[in-house]
Amino acid sequence: MEGCPNDTIVNMVKTLNPPSTDFPIKRSLNGNEESTPVPIKRFKSISKDSTPYEGSPRELRRMRADLVEARITIKDLQCRLTNSHSLRNKMELEFKEENKILRRQSEYDKKSIQELEDQLQTIRKREKDLKSQLSEIKCKYDLLKINSAKEIEMLQNSSSNSKEESTESDIEESAVVASLNRRITELETMLESAEDDAETQKQYVKELSSKLSEDNNLQKNLEQKEYELMKAKLTVNNLEYQLKSYSEFQDQAKQQADKLSRYIELEKENERLNQERASLLDQVKNKLILEEQAFDFKRRLEKYKDYDKKLMDLQIQQSQSMLQLNEWKAVAREICESMDSDSSLPHQLRSVVEKLQHQELTLTSQKVELECELKSISHESKVLKSEVEKCRKLIEELKLTGEQKQKLIHRMEKRLKLVISERDSYRRQLDSYENDLTMDTTVSRSSSQLQTQREHINNLEKLVSGYRDTVAELENDLHNAQPHLRDDIPLKIEQVARLKDEVQRLKLENDKLRQRCDQLEIKLERQMENDSSFKGGKIAHQLYNPLRESVEQRANQVENLKKEIERLKLKIKNYEQGIENSKIGDVTLHSKEIDALNEQLKSQESQTEMLRNYLKSNFQELRNVIYVLFGYKMDRTKNSLYTLANMYAEKPEDVICFQYADGNMHLLQNEFTASLEHMINLHVKQQNSIPVFLSSLTLDLFANKSMTGLLSVNLTGN
Amino acid sequence: MTSAAQDIQSAITVKGSADIVCDYLNYGINSILFQRGLYPPENFKPDENYGVTLWMTTDNKIKEFLLKTLDQLRNWLVDKAVKKVVLVIANVATLEVLERWDFNVEYEEDTLTNPDKVSSKPIKQIRNEIREILKQISASVSYLPLLDCLCSFDVQIYTKGDIDMPSEWNETAPAVIQNAQSVKMRSFSTNIHKMETIVTYKNDI
Repeated sequence: MEGCPNDTIVNMVKTLNPPSTDFPIKRSLNGNEESTPVPIKRFKSISKDSTPYEGSPRELRRMRADLVEARITIKDLQCRLTNSHSLRNKMELEFKEENKILRRQSEYDKKSIQELEDQLQTIRKREKDLKSQLSEIKCKYDLLKINSAKEIEMLQNSSSNSKEESTESDIEESAVVASLNRRITELETMLESAEDDAETQKQYVKELSSKLSEDNNLQKNLEQKEYELMKAKLTVNNLEYQLKSYSEFQDQAKQQADKLSRYIELEKENERLNQERASLLDQVKNKLILEEQAFDFKRRLEKYKDYDKKLMDLQIQQSQSMLQLNEWKAVAREICESMDSDSSLPHQLRSVVEKLQHQELTLTSQKVELECELKSISHESKVLKSEVEKCRKLIEELKLTGEQKQKLIHRMEKRLKLVISERDSYRRQLDSYENDLTMDTTVSRSSSQLQTQREHINNLEKLVSGYRDTVAELENDLHNAQPHLRDDIPLKIEQVARLKDEVQRLKLENDKLRQRCDQLEIKLERQMENDSSFKGGKIAHQLYNPLRESVEQRANQVENLKKEIERLKLKIKNYEQGIENSKIGDVTLHSKEIDALNEQLKSQESQTEMLRNYLKSNFQELRNVIYVLFGYKMDRTKNSLYTLANMYAEKPEDVICFQYADGNMHLLQNEFTASLEHMINLHVKQQNSIPVFLSSLTLDLFANKSMTGLLSVNLTGN
Repeated sequence: MTSAAQDIQSAITVKGSADIVCDYLNYGINSILFQRGLYPPENFKPDENYGVTLWMTTDNKIKEFLLKTLDQLRNWLVDKAVKKVVLVIANVATLEVLERWDFNVEYEEDTLTNPDKVSSKPIKQIRNEIREILKQISASVSYLPLLDCLCSFDVQIYTKGDIDMPSEWNETAPAVIQNAQSVKMRSFSTNIHKMETIVTYKNDI
């Protein structure tokens, strides 16, 4: 603030005019970066050199405000600067990166350039090599040119030489040709001579052939004569035969004459014989009639025999029936109880029968009634049975009472014994008393005593009589009781037996009923079981259970086994018939296969047949063609044995035989070939050519044939 | 199955009781199949339960069949629709019934009236009862006749009244054995269901 006074004044002036002072600040604020720092710097330099200025507080205040503002602007500007710096840095970094990339690229480019250069160099090298090669080749070419030129020259020389040689040889050849021509002429002359010879030969041959024909004629005549001779012989034979027959005829004629002389006799005899014959015929007729009659009689006899038999049977039957009738009659009489005549018997019998029937009816009705009664009785018997049961109980009770009674009787008897013993004792007492009494009678005794004793005796006697009475009563009782018992016993035994039977019967019935009961119980149980299972419910089970599964499995198995059995049976059948082939396992397949194979076989056979026919015809054609073209008929007789028959052969037996072995043909000897020795020698042995031999033979034979043909023509012409 | 009942301990519901019954039937039927030789012994494996060793089938088909049957039976037991369960052993060739194991089901009186009845019978006691029956089943081989033909089995459930037949189930005829003889075994009760086991077999004599 202590700057120059001019400036301060200016500032002061400026500050006085606020718009003018504000302006630079505002401008700096607005953003021109280069314009703003300059006035600040200036402002500082000014402030350093300036003396302290003491202004009015208002100015100071204003200055301060300005300063603050300026500071703010400075800060702002600094901020901008830093911003710009950072921006610059960023830019620099980017530039660096770009630079790096560019460098890398340049390096890469350099490398590629290097490589390309290397390539270029190699290419150049190659070019050089090629050039050197080219030069070499050129050199070679030149050399070759020279060489070829040399060769051409050589060849030209040689050709000229050869030309010369050819000319020389031509000259030589002409000389040879001349010599040959000479030779030919010689040969021609020879040929002419030979032809002359041949003509003479031919003439000779003609003569010979004429002779031959004459011979043939002679032979024919001879044959004719022989034939005639044969005929004559036959006629002679015939004549001889006729002669023989004639002699026979003569004999016969003689015999006939004799017979004629005996004719009359014979006629007589004939008449006689005729008569005889007539009589015989009559006899024969009679005999026939008789035979018929006899036959009739025989038949009748048989019939009668049958009748007889029947009659016998009938008689027997009649006798039997008579007997039966008599019996019946007797029976009837017995039934009727009458001795009337037989005629009234049936009526009586009928009446009796009717009576009986009536009786039967009544009886049946009675029977029905009785049955009813029986039923009622059986019912009653049932009732009675129950009663019997009751009776049995009663009997048991009675038995019990009887036993009790017996016991009682026993006791009674015992008591009786006791009483008897008592009585005996009393009796003894009485005896003793009597003894006493007799003794007393003998001895003197008092009357009172006697009296008392008598009373006593009386009492005792009364007592004894009482005892006797009781004993008698008891005995009577006993007697009464015993007979009752004795009477009961048989009745009881019967009853017991009956009851036993009944008991047995009832037991059996009981058993039966028990068994029936058991059966019914079992049934009832079953029924109950079934009912209980069904009652108000269902029985559920799974549709696919193991049982069903195993049943199905089993069915399948059975089915399979059946099939297999069928198959095996078929197989066995086939084995038995011998059809089955061991190679083929399955029969069903086998039959089909056999059919297929049979068809195939048939087709194959037909094919082969066709082929055979085709080949045969073709072969035949070929043979014919060969025969026509080459004049030989060729046959293959045996293995690799061929016979050739020439077309112009004189005889069919004239054949040539060849055997083929190891690629060679061997000519076999026979009659015909033996006659061809010179030809064989010439063509086969010397020239070693069978075709030539064959063709020459053909020519020869043809010549012979044509010659003979001509001769024969000539002869026939002559 | 029993574990559910065990957890509660001396408080068996109707469902739990049905589980116990089905468990018994599972072991009982398996035991019968093994003891009667319907399937080869190699198809069974030992399993310890109720304090005895029992042989359980390893055949998946039989397992599945029993599982299905017992599942259905459990539902019907809870509905109280079962009268008895019958294991029928029949000859495959002739379809003749040779043996019948009746498992009669009885419902304790108040079970029918009170569907939410809870039994307080100790589970240990029930298990002991079941063990005794299983022992009897094992011992039954000694008097039952020998099954000397190809046999198979079926499980029939006798129901009360009209019930809806589930799919794969149908009605069948009762298995009746001619000339039969029966042996009654012990029974057990859960105080909800009472099960009675009877074997009926053909008496050949």
